[in-house]
Amino acid sequence: MPASTSNGLMPVGSSLSFAGLEQPLQILRALGGGTQGQVYAVSSGAEELALKWYLPSCIARDPRLKQRLQQSIRLGAPNGDFLWPMALLEPSDQSRPLIRSSEPGFGYLMPLRPSGYLGAHLHAGGRLEISLQNVLRACFLLADAFHELHLKGLCYKDISLGNLFLRPSDGSILICDNDNVEVDGQSAGSVLGTPGFMAPEVLLGAAKPSASSDQFSLAVLLFRLLTRHDPFRGQMELAIRCLDEPARRRLYGEEALFIFDPNDSRNRPDPIEHPAALLTWPIYPPALQALFVQCFGIGLRQPHQRPLTGQWKQVLSRCLDQRQLCGHCGEELLTAGPCWSCGHSLTPVLQLQMPHGRVAACAGNALHRHHFDPHLGETLQEPIATLVSHPSDASILGLRNLGNSPWHGQLRNGQNLTVEPGKTCNVAALQQLHTEAGPLTTLRP
Amino acid sequence: MPFPNVRLSNRPLHFIYLCDCSGSMAAQGKMQALNQAIRQSLPGMAEVAEQNPEARVLVRAVRFADGAAWHLAEPTPVQELQWRDLEAGGITAMGEALSLVADALQSPPMEDRALPPVLVLISDGQPTDDFDAGLSRLMREPWAQKAVRLAIAMGHDADLEVLQQFIGPEPARGGKSPRRPLQASNATTLAQYIQWASTAVVGAASMPASRVAQSEESGSNIPLPDLPPTLLDPTDDVGPLVW
Repeated sequence: MPASTSNGLMPVGSSLSFAGLEQPLQILRALGGGTQGQVYAVSSGAEELALKWYLPSCIARDPRLKQRLQQSIRLGAPNGDFLWPMALLEPSDQSRPLIRSSEPGFGYLMPLRPSGYLGAHLHAGGRLEISLQNVLRACFLLADAFHELHLKGLCYKDISLGNLFLRPSDGSILICDNDNVEVDGQSAGSVLGTPGFMAPEVLLGAAKPSASSDQFSLAVLLFRLLTRHDPFRGQMELAIRCLDEPARRRLYGEEALFIFDPNDSRNRPDPIEHPAALLTWPIYPPALQALFVQCFGIGLRQPHQRPLTGQWKQVLSRCLDQRQLCGHCGEELLTAGPCWSCGHSLTPVLQLQMPHGRVAACAGNALHRHHFDPHLGETLQEPIATLVSHPSDASILGLRNLGNSPWHGQLRNGQNLTVEPGKTCNVAALQQLHTEAGPLTTLRP
Repeated sequence: MPFPNVRLSNRPLHFIYLCDCSGSMAAQGKMQALNQAIRQSLPGMAEVAEQNPEARVLVRAVRFADGAAWHLAEPTPVQELQWRDLEAGGITAMGEALSLVADALQSPPMEDRALPPVLVLISDGQPTDDFDAGLSRLMREPWAQKAVRLAIAMGHDADLEVLQQFIGPEPARGGKSPRRPLQASNATTLAQYIQWASTAVVGAASMPASRVAQSEESGSNIPLPDLPPTLLDPTDDVGPLVW
C-alpha cells in the first residue's frame, strides 16, 4: 500500500501519550497501511520504533486480537528475526481525541525494520540481485525462525511472501506481521492465511491454521524463494483461463498436484510459460528436492507427513556446506553433476571433513560448531572459520580462524603450524587441524 | 554470482476506467477532480503492481459523452502510464461505453489466460442512450462476467440504479459495500475510492492477500478488500442525512 495515507489514523508530527507507557511517543511518519491498520515510525526518547494501529473494523472482526498480542508480548520473540510486538498500546485520555477514528482502538509497538531489508516479493519477482548462497541462507534462517516459534508452542498462521523481508547482501531475514501468532491448537483468531500458501485443509475449510499448516506454508515459501516459481502452477494452470478464487481453490486445494511429482507428471511446468521452474529446480540436490516432494506429495493430504522445520534446517545447511563455484562460468553449484548454467562438468574440490559434517573448500563457505558437535543444532551464527581467497591470488584458498584461540595443524609434508585468531592458512597444504571446536582433516578428490 | 535470471510466468490484469465526461462533469470541478484522483493514484497502483510478480497490470480508459471512445486505447503498463486529462462536454452515452468495453473483452483481443479484469465505471448522471443494450452486450462476454465491476457515483445526481445493474446483484446486507455504487460527494472521497480501486482491488484480483474467516465476501469469484474508511468526511458513512 502507498504510504501517503491522506486519511491517517495518527497525527503525524504530534506527541501522544499511552496508558502504561512512561514516555510519550512522537509520531514521525506514516510507513504504510492496509486493510488491518496503519504503521507509523515513532520515537521514544532516542529510540526509533514502529507502531501499528488497528482500524476499528479489524478489531471488530478479531475479538481475540488484544489477548493474542498480550500473550506474544509476554512470551517474547522466538529469535531476533521477528519484528515481534513489544508493548500493547492504548491511548491515554489526553491522546484519545487526537486519534482520527470513531473508536480509539489499540495498537502495538515493535522494532523498526532497518534499511537494507527488502520485500521478499522483489526476489520472487526477479527484481533483486542476490546470490544463490544468500537465498539459501535466507531459507535456512526462515526454517530456523519458525523452528524456534514452533518450539515455543506457537503457530504463525500466515506464512507468505508478503510477511518476509530479506537483506540481499547477506541473506538475513525479518518476519513481520506477527499479530496472528497464537498458541498452537487454540486457533480462535480470524486469519486463515494467504491463498497460494495455505495448506489445502485450511484453504478448503476443513481445518484451522496450525503448526502443521505452517509447515506446508513454509515449504511453499521456500520453494518460491528457491525457484522463483509456484509449486502448483504447471500444465494444470494452463487449462485455467481466468485465475480467480474458484480456480485457485482447485489449483491449490481440490486438485492440487506438485509440478515435480515423481509419480504423476500431469502438472509439469510448461517450457514456454513456466521456464523459471525448469531452470532452477535442477540446481538443488536430491535431498532438498525430496523434502519438497514429501511436503507437496504425501504431505498435501496428510499433515503429519510434512517435513519438520528441523529437517529443512539440516538439509539447507548441508546445501550451503556443499556450495562450489563452476570453474568455467563461476556460477554457484550445489550438486556434483555438470554445471546447471554452462553445462561444463565440475572438477571435484577438496573437502574439509569434521566429525559431524563436510564442507566443500570454496570461498565463502563456513565452518560452524554444529559440524563438530552432533548435539548442537544447525546455526549460521558465529562461524568458527570461513574459506577465503588470497587477496592477491584468487586461486589460493585459505581457511581463516574466526575464533578466539589458536589452531594447531599439520601440513601434508608433516610440518606443524599454528593459526592465530584472525589468521588464514592455505588449505592446499593442509592435512589436519585442531580447532577449539574439534578436529578437521582434508579430503582430496 | 547472482541468482539465475529467469523469465517469470505472469498473467495480464486488465484494468479499465469508464469515465463519464458529460457536460455536467464540468460543474464544480468534477472533471478536474477525477483527472487528479486518477493521476494521484498511479504511483500507488504501480507499487502494488510491482509487489505482484504474478500480474502484469495493464490500464485502459474509455470516455463517454455524446458518444463513447477510447481515451487510452492501448493496454498500458501502469509503470509507463501518463494520464492525459479528460474533458467534459456532451451527454451520457454510457451504453455505448459498455459496448466498447465488451468488444475489448472478446477473445481475441483478450488473451487466452488472464487474471480477472477490473472495470471501474465513474458517472455523475443518467445514461442518455440505451444502457440496457450496452450492459447485456457486455455481460455476454465471459471475461466481463468474471470481471470485478466497481462503480463510483460522483455527486448526488448519479443514477445509482444503473450503476448497481452494472455491478451485479445488490448485496443482501445493508450498508456500505464494494458491491454497491460508491458515493463520492467530494473530491477527497473520490480520490480515496479511486486509490482503493487501483491498489487494494488490483491487489486482490492479482495476488491474494491474507484471508480472514467469516468474510462476507466469500462466495464471489474475487473477495473484495474492505472499503477505505472515509474519515475526513464522516457524513459519507452515515447514510441519508434527511428523509
